[in-house]
Amino acid sequence: MMRTIEVLIVIIIITGAFIAASFFAVLPWPRQVSPLNLRRLAFTTLQMLDSNYDLSRAAFETENYTIWGGLQIALSASLPPNIIYNLTVYEVTGETTQLYTFIDSMSNAESLGITSDASSYIVASSNVTFNVVPEKIGEHGGGGGTLYILNCSDANSWWITGYTAHSLAQDLYNLLSPYFHETVMVQSTNQLAQILDGTALQGETLQSAVVINTCGEAVPIPSGYYSSSGVGYDPARNSYARYSYVLGQRVLEYNWTWVSIVGYPLYYVSNTGLFPTYQNDWGIYGMRAVEAAGLNAFLRGLDNLTYSYDSSWLTGSPSGVVYLSNEAVDSSNYYGVYPSPYQTSTRALPTSIISAYNLNVTTYVFNTVGNLIPAAVYRHTVTTGGTTHYQGAFYAIGLTRTPDIRLTALGLLADYRPRLYRSEYTANGTSRLVVLQLGLVGGV
Amino acid sequence: MVSSTVDHMIAVTVFLAATLLFIGLFNQTIQTAVIYQRHRATATKASDLLDNMLLSPGLPVNWGQTDANITGFGLQDPEFTQYKLSPYSLMRLRSSVGEPVYYNATEQWYSNVTIGDRNFMLVPYNLALEYSAVTRLLGINNSYGFQLTLTPIVTVSIQETSASPLTLKVTASGVGFPLSGATISYCFLKVGTHGNDPYYDISFDTVTADDTGSKSITISNVAADDSYAFIAYVREGGLVGVGYRERTKDQNKYVIPFIDSFDEGLVLLAHSYDVHFFGAPVPAVFYNATFVLLTEDFTLREMPIDTTSDHIVYGHGSDKTYENVTIPTHNPGILVVTYKAQGANQDGVVLMPWGLSSLAFPVTFGGDPSQQEWVATDMRHVTVGGIAYQAQIALWSLEGYQVVG
Repeated sequence: MMRTIEVLIVIIIITGAFIAASFFAVLPWPRQVSPLNLRRLAFTTLQMLDSNYDLSRAAFETENYTIWGGLQIALSASLPPNIIYNLTVYEVTGETTQLYTFIDSMSNAESLGITSDASSYIVASSNVTFNVVPEKIGEHGGGGGTLYILNCSDANSWWITGYTAHSLAQDLYNLLSPYFHETVMVQSTNQLAQILDGTALQGETLQSAVVINTCGEAVPIPSGYYSSSGVGYDPARNSYARYSYVLGQRVLEYNWTWVSIVGYPLYYVSNTGLFPTYQNDWGIYGMRAVEAAGLNAFLRGLDNLTYSYDSSWLTGSPSGVVYLSNEAVDSSNYYGVYPSPYQTSTRALPTSIISAYNLNVTTYVFNTVGNLIPAAVYRHTVTTGGTTHYQGAFYAIGLTRTPDIRLTALGLLADYRPRLYRSEYTANGTSRLVVLQLGLVGGV
Repeated sequence: MVSSTVDHMIAVTVFLAATLLFIGLFNQTIQTAVIYQRHRATATKASDLLDNMLLSPGLPVNWGQTDANITGFGLQDPEFTQYKLSPYSLMRLRSSVGEPVYYNATEQWYSNVTIGDRNFMLVPYNLALEYSAVTRLLGINNSYGFQLTLTPIVTVSIQETSASPLTLKVTASGVGFPLSGATISYCFLKVGTHGNDPYYDISFDTVTADDTGSKSITISNVAADDSYAFIAYVREGGLVGVGYRERTKDQNKYVIPFIDSFDEGLVLLAHSYDVHFFGAPVPAVFYNATFVLLTEDFTLREMPIDTTSDHIVYGHGSDKTYENVTIPTHNPGILVVTYKAQGANQDGVVLMPWGLSSLAFPVTFGGDPSQQEWVATDMRHVTVGGIAYQAQIALWSLEGYQVVG
């Protein structure tokens, strides 16, 4: 009998233990097991409302009842009915011990229910300006500092579909002129002849300049000397490929960087006065085709080889799209120039030209695909007295029309790497902190 | 001695019975706690998985704008950061709610998102991502199932309150809350015909909604039987939504657009009888197509496209079974196709979004949560091509069935 009593006592003890364990082992509520992530929802709501800067505007115009009310309507309309909110705007001061000063708030409930969470978001005033001073190219050695933009009114363009050479020149001026000592618009083929002769147009430094041809696959050709037989014109082949050869020579002589913004470089020559009755087979008058011989002649001129007519096709088409190189992406972020990271290339130059013409790629703007280089800066190497240095350069963007002129700017900036001196951002009253607190009501 | 033995037997029996009972009781408590933990893990996984999908553009990053196979899944717009989704990547998700459409001429099945009678988004199966492939790319195959739903936050309803003069009442609301004082930018496209050739007159305007989020708009020079399309973009305090309405005169003879290539922006225009097999041969359908863009200031602008007008016939004869239209941009917009049946007084208009957000189409992608024992959900607010959407995920475990209580 005694054993039975002992067992009963044990059972009572275990029952007590079970009851005690059950009492303390409180299972969570369903909403705690599977909570709605209110913090992320609040953050994404703030981001969505600020996607067109409406939230930023409202945070700085809390006295404007139309804008402030519009924000409240948008907030109420975007959140599910079982979610309540409290949105508070603080001024970021930083001058005193109190970092944040309350400005205003809005809410659709007195309390925030059983569960709540919050996210914060910094908005900047539209009046904020950031001062950035760029370093001028050539400022710390290396020469140069002049940017020539070919904006010849007496030359036509090809493969810049949708743009004009003038509009591209203007965009390039806006993008690149802060980085150069002098930016000179070459307004006519006569002025182009002048700089080819080695004469500055406005007292600028001609040596080591950058020359951007905004006419796409066409290149302006001056009438007179540079289009004469034996100089720019090859009578044996009835071709102006010889002009491209002279251009290559000048690029070498003056240590220029020649930029072709789209398509097959130097495929046509253009001068509306010189070729009034010629067209490029697509109805653009004032233009004559040089075809592949132009680029071959240019590269021979750049490498100081003797002129010979070579019409062999150089470029190829990488399959699919081509992607910006890591170097170019870094430069995109550094200079704030954001072209699309992938493009179509049908005029990519082959890697074989590097060894054939003593070139060295200093900047790959797009990743190489097989033996094709969609866009890169090639610098010509010269060895004098046992020392090797660069003289003359060629930036070829072998993409398909329509050109994105930002790629031209990006490639040059990635190659020259001018520094940006950013002013410190210490202005008061230019930032506000928006805190959105969300709460759940109803349910368990 | 006997009584002691009986005492022992009773005591042992009672003790064993009690032990078994308590093991069962404790086991149930422990099992319940384990299940709660598993559910908690599923809920955490749902939140993480949703962020993974929304904060990565996938590989290649522009897969939504190409016909390429993908090696990494993500829906973020590669040109932006944070919760901005690509309107093209979303188009390439195979809808799990729309009835797929088979088109004989291309011998392909198409993922189908059709809103109303004449608003289509049909993507070929070879370009539309399959659910099982996505679970493999996300690394959750055989462990979790999910359904991703994207629904526009702003609802823009358009009612015809008067046929002549044509008066349309535009009402915009969020989740049960009207967008009072919202700005409404609209595009009105009236269909006309010269003989068999349809043409369109297009007009644009911007108005402001009243306190109830409504605005009545009267359009002049529209007869009671004229066909038209009306597209309205509504914005208020950072929220943007889209609504549309069409009136058509025909019943069954119309144009159906099929997306053929995202790379090239190629769209096939097919005769409706070739797709839905309504019966005996019917007249050809003549069409006229245009493209409407939403600009950055939320106004609409027409963008010309090449080879916009021709005709298509029913059947597989020597004539044109379908025609091609190329959309020359990867900016989101709306392909508007006006049409007329040959020799009949039947015309109308169909709309196709180029970029899911252009017509605020919803998307449901993934498995069916209704048959699952326990489903965790989470949501985010996102923008798709500037349009406000709510992204919601439902996630469930595939590792056995566990039920609480």
